[in-house]
Amino acid sequence: MSYKCSRCKRDVELDEYGGVRCPYCGHRVLLKERSRDIKEIDVH
Amino acid sequence: MVPVRCFTCGKVVGEHWEEFKTRTREGDDDPEQVLDELGVERHCCRRMLVSHKDLVDVVAPYQ
Amino acid sequence: MSEDYEVEFIDRDERDARFVVRDITPAFANGIRRAIVSDVPTLSIDTVRVIENSSVMFDEQISLRLGLVPLTTPDDYDVGETATLALDVEGPDTAYSGDLVSADDRVEPADDNIPIIDLKYPEGADSPQRLEIEAEAVMDHGKSHAKHQGGVAVGYRHLQRIEVVGDAADWEDEPNILRGVIEDDGELVPTESFDHDLSKRYPGKEVEVHDVPNAFVFSIESDGSLPVSDLVLNAVDSLADRADELEQAVQL
Repeated sequence: MSYKCSRCKRDVELDEYGGVRCPYCGHRVLLKERSRDIKEIDVH
Repeated sequence: MVPVRCFTCGKVVGEHWEEFKTRTREGDDDPEQVLDELGVERHCCRRMLVSHKDLVDVVAPYQ
Repeated sequence: MSEDYEVEFIDRDERDARFVVRDITPAFANGIRRAIVSDVPTLSIDTVRVIENSSVMFDEQISLRLGLVPLTTPDDYDVGETATLALDVEGPDTAYSGDLVSADDRVEPADDNIPIIDLKYPEGADSPQRLEIEAEAVMDHGKSHAKHQGGVAVGYRHLQRIEVVGDAADWEDEPNILRGVIEDDGELVPTESFDHDLSKRYPGKEVEVHDVPNAFVFSIESDGSLPVSDLVLNAVDSLADRADELEQAVQL
């Protein structure tokens, strides 16, 4: 679950050969989701 | 969001923001007097509150 | 300590104090000032683990804001020691410094009302904005980062004495402004008691202002991590430690 379609809001797995396209609605704008990893930040 | 501290001297000014805002923008108190009462004495700290504008509401719709 | 110094308070508060110290050199006064600013360690958030942040600000911006929140510093912490804090707020609400929960209940935000970030529940969104973090506060010196500075606006000036040298000319009716503390007949008078205007205290007189040698009025403001008295005492101790260290170093 690394991308989300910006039109139908469904989770999209990016296919190496299919190009950047939502398999459900064909929309070409995908949003990258934030990783679920815990991010550690040093405060400067 | 309001800066937590005064850029120049480091005094914590963030904690006074909400009171300052409600009293001066929604109420009609004189900002000069409000700042005096809040103990924000130096003009470096005063400008932090006087010149601040909250922009969170403006950017919130654009996740 | 081999010598005692005479200290007299003018204003005394947890966060704000003004006092006179006598029989110290300007160099020593400045040493104290600098030690307060850079050599008294305080706790401050230094590492933030972001579990969830769907707010409108970046993790780094939020971490910076959290780092600037002053934390009360118990006296048994050593430099490098850490304390853990956590924050979990969900919109629509504002995350305040007071929402930080600490593992050590003596370490808490000195001010509870500092807004960290405003969290919304945007229309049409399937979940509210949320901020969940864990943070590590570390004890360190002001010289490593300004967020560890316990004192803000730390300064000193000479104690002053006013000498009446004659009568003012008739046309001289301008205010004569002086800010600080004056000594009059052994009594300490802050200039705000006469509106900082010498012509109000000595009407119709011509006056001269003299510095009292080796007497300094310190004015110290704390960010709340330590009370002013601890701030000064820790600073003086750090000076003493350094002097001892120097003595050790030059001995064979």
